Amino acid sequence: MSSSTLHDREWAFIRSLTITGMLPLAGERTVQALYYILRGRKANQTLQDVHLYSLYPYYRMFPRLLKEDWEKIVYKLQEESLLIPMQRAESGRKPSFVLTEKALQIASESEREYNFSYWFEPFTAADIAEQIDLFWLRLHLIVQTVSHLLEGDLSFQPIVQEKRTQRWVKECLADKERRARWTEGLAQELFCSMSPLSESVQEMIFQRFSGVSQSGLTLSQLSLRKREAPAYIHMQIRCGLARMIRTIQDNRAEFPLLSALLKNEGGKDPRLTESASLTYVLAKQGSSIEQIANRRGIKPGTVEDHLVEIALRCPEWDGSRYLSAELAEEIVKISERLGTSRLRLIKDQLGPGVSYLQIRLALARKKGGEEDAKRDA
Amino acid sequence: MQKETLDLRLGDLLKRHFGYSSFRPGQWEIIERILRGENVLGLMATGGGKSVTYQLPALYLPGTAVVVSPLISLMTDQVQQLRGKRKIPAAYINSTMEPAETRERLFEISRGAYKLIYVSPEKLQNSAVQKALVRAGVSMLAIDEAHCISQWGHDFRTDYLRLPQVVQSLGSPPVLAVTATATPGVKAEICDLFDIKQENVITQPLNRENIAIDVILAESEADRRQMVKKSIDELQGPGIVYCSTRQTVELLVAEYQLSGKKSVHGYHGGMSSMERMVVQTQFLRGELDAIIATNAFGMGIDKSDIRFVLHYHFPPSLEAYAQEIGRVGRDGKAGYAGLYYVPEDRLIHTHLQEKEYPTTEQALRFLQGLSQAGTKPISELAMHDIPEEMAALLFFYAELAGIVSDVAAGREEYRYELSDASQMGNLAEKASQMIEAMEKPKWLKRQKLLEMLRWLEGNECYRMRLNRYFGELDHTSSAACCSHCGLDRSAYLDKSGSRTERTGKNAWNLRKALEKLLPNKKGGSIF
Ligand SMILES: Nc1ncnc2c1ncn2[C@@H]1O[C@H](COP(=O)(O)OP(=O)(O)O)[C@@H](O)[C@H]1O
Ligand SMILES: [Mg+2]
Ligand SMILES: [Zn+2]
Repeated sequence: MSSSTLHDREWAFIRSLTITGMLPLAGERTVQALYYILRGRKANQTLQDVHLYSLYPYYRMFPRLLKEDWEKIVYKLQEESLLIPMQRAESGRKPSFVLTEKALQIASESEREYNFSYWFEPFTAADIAEQIDLFWLRLHLIVQTVSHLLEGDLSFQPIVQEKRTQRWVKECLADKERRARWTEGLAQELFCSMSPLSESVQEMIFQRFSGVSQSGLTLSQLSLRKREAPAYIHMQIRCGLARMIRTIQDNRAEFPLLSALLKNEGGKDPRLTESASLTYVLAKQGSSIEQIANRRGIKPGTVEDHLVEIALRCPEWDGSRYLSAELAEEIVKISERLGTSRLRLIKDQLGPGVSYLQIRLALARKKGGEEDAKRDA
Repeated sequence: MQKETLDLRLGDLLKRHFGYSSFRPGQWEIIERILRGENVLGLMATGGGKSVTYQLPALYLPGTAVVVSPLISLMTDQVQQLRGKRKIPAAYINSTMEPAETRERLFEISRGAYKLIYVSPEKLQNSAVQKALVRAGVSMLAIDEAHCISQWGHDFRTDYLRLPQVVQSLGSPPVLAVTATATPGVKAEICDLFDIKQENVITQPLNRENIAIDVILAESEADRRQMVKKSIDELQGPGIVYCSTRQTVELLVAEYQLSGKKSVHGYHGGMSSMERMVVQTQFLRGELDAIIATNAFGMGIDKSDIRFVLHYHFPPSLEAYAQEIGRVGRDGKAGYAGLYYVPEDRLIHTHLQEKEYPTTEQALRFLQGLSQAGTKPISELAMHDIPEEMAALLFFYAELAGIVSDVAAGREEYRYELSDASQMGNLAEKASQMIEAMEKPKWLKRQKLLEMLRWLEGNECYRMRLNRYFGELDHTSSAACCSHCGLDRSAYLDKSGSRTERTGKNAWNLRKALEKLLPNKKGGSIF
């Protein structure tokens, strides 16, 4: 079998996948909506769509998908008469699209072809995507490191370059006892968590590992060997990892080592900088700025910067402790009237009772909302 | 100290810490001068062995040696190597570190815990960093990739310009500037800035005697593709094939895999960092015959037995060309550099150079997107239709224009201070000011491209003209010279014919597979 058919297989798979994902969005959302979901955008609108239409398996499936590649996909769907763009007559509503009979036909056949409902089964919440990413980075690096530890050779090039993961693994293996536990127990726990998977998925995940005895395979190498579309393999591996996570979560006692891979460091929020997310944890517990500054050993001014960042990025945050809704509205009005965001000018209009922090929070809230809107445009 | 005893001691350190039995050309000359307290400029080819010229004196001299390096990834690699294999106490300071981590590291430095500190140029401006280093006592300051200081160089960095002042704040230790790519003008500029005497400029011959330079005129795109695929099949590997765009890499890989005999893999900036590392590891382990790559591949790759480099497209400058073919044959054995010349490729480069720089509109959108909070996630740029690769450039020029300061690039986001100027409202004016400042480097790049074309079109020995561009007259060759002087391609063909195939397919067994990957050293089965 030649690779040109591999190319065709990739398109056939992508076509089924996108059409299936677009089914609930047709007539409701723009064609870009699924793109944002596949990339895993962290904006409110996207997350709402994921929940509303239960598109959890799609969320962050291809975090590196380029806009131009997505446009090519949409173009091809149109070319094959599967998708028709639709202009919205009513003002204020965004243009959407419809899927043709032929597309619906493909969607119904795709279940038999690709078994989507089986692969999608472990995806029941949007945060599984983040969990998979974290789990996979840690798993890959700990396997590579332990493999080298067993050979007594630690001068290797880590495949996972992400610093946070590297720090985490270093911490795991910091002393002799911990190293002993990992070197002695990792293989057994891997065996138990992987054996419920189908053999073919076991093999795919295994072949991606790096260590002394193997460099690991890339997705395209796996695809050449299995003669399956790379995106299809990618989806199966993701599902395999999600199932492993499930298995470990449901039997933590049996996986003392691997369950450590699931823990989130200090409730880190991926939308925020590391430091701001630590502040966010404390702010959610109701600590004051002074308390947060004291507990974290940072300046109150820095905590204020973090709160502004939180106001900008985390629309669900209740900042009323620092800024009432009425005051926020007033600040925004003044800023608009003056046509400026300069804090000093706004403060001059408000008088001494209002702090710079409050003005910054109000402007950040407004901006956060606008950025969401702009991205959807 | 007597020359003989110094020789012995240095030779001993070289053997003990690095495992080398002799110095490469130029290394001893540089080291000896640094130990005498001279400022030195070392010009050595990529892979020529520049690192040893500061790592060895660092061990020998009392105090801590400071190494300025522009690339964070190279910095971490080197420190890892020094600490691991070579048992040399070394550390780095750069902008990816957490404040707490930095504070701790600075404390260790001031205690004199390290023989070598790698630091990014912007961090070296920081007064806390300087204070810690002064306390430890700076034995020497090494500046890697020193050509970055030249405004006429292709990698100009403003942080480098402030280095001469830093030398003074560090107590004027001897300075060692090293680089692989300096034209006579750049050389003069570096000597001037760091007060380096003519007799302390050490030039390792740039000429790579063992590499044959072949330039092949192709009539069309199809013609070229055919030839390149054939060469990958026939040439003795391992090798690298350079293309100018990701699309070409992907296309060539896909086509080659339809009919090609060897095992190849693509490599470009669009791949995830894990995939890139896997490919690199396979290549270093000798599991791939060729890598088909953009220029993203090669920096810091330490592989001495690369037998060929092919250029599918010609590179945009002679500097880049010299660097890329310089990866061939570092083991001293004969190697081959083949460039497939299609004159129309110049359009690709003019297009890429246009795309590399932002439009006024993009600059404006970028400025509008800067937030008071002082952080910008890289992922957000894409949403504003600004390519990731452009971010560094935009921040750089925004800093020049006084809109931001203290820019620090992390893996996922940029941090910066927004200056008052950004509040002035007139962002459009600022944006066009930024665009104007980009005119000079753009012009420079066009000149470099013209030099490259002149070289390709020229009618004399390619080696002689390449070396002359860098101010070197020697152009001897040990195997074959170039396609102008005449060369026999068959000398570089793969004679073994077959390559080692990966182990055949066995029936899948999870238990066995895991036992192989994570073998139980205590004997017996882990299960
Ligand atoms: N004296 C020497 N003898 C043998 N190998 C050397 C010597 N000096 C350097 N090398 C090797 O040469 C390679 C390139 O050295 P490096 O310092 O990274 O080069 P550069 O920085 O000039 O590109 C390394 O693999 C290094 O181990
Ligand atoms: Mg170097
Ligand atoms: Zn010649």
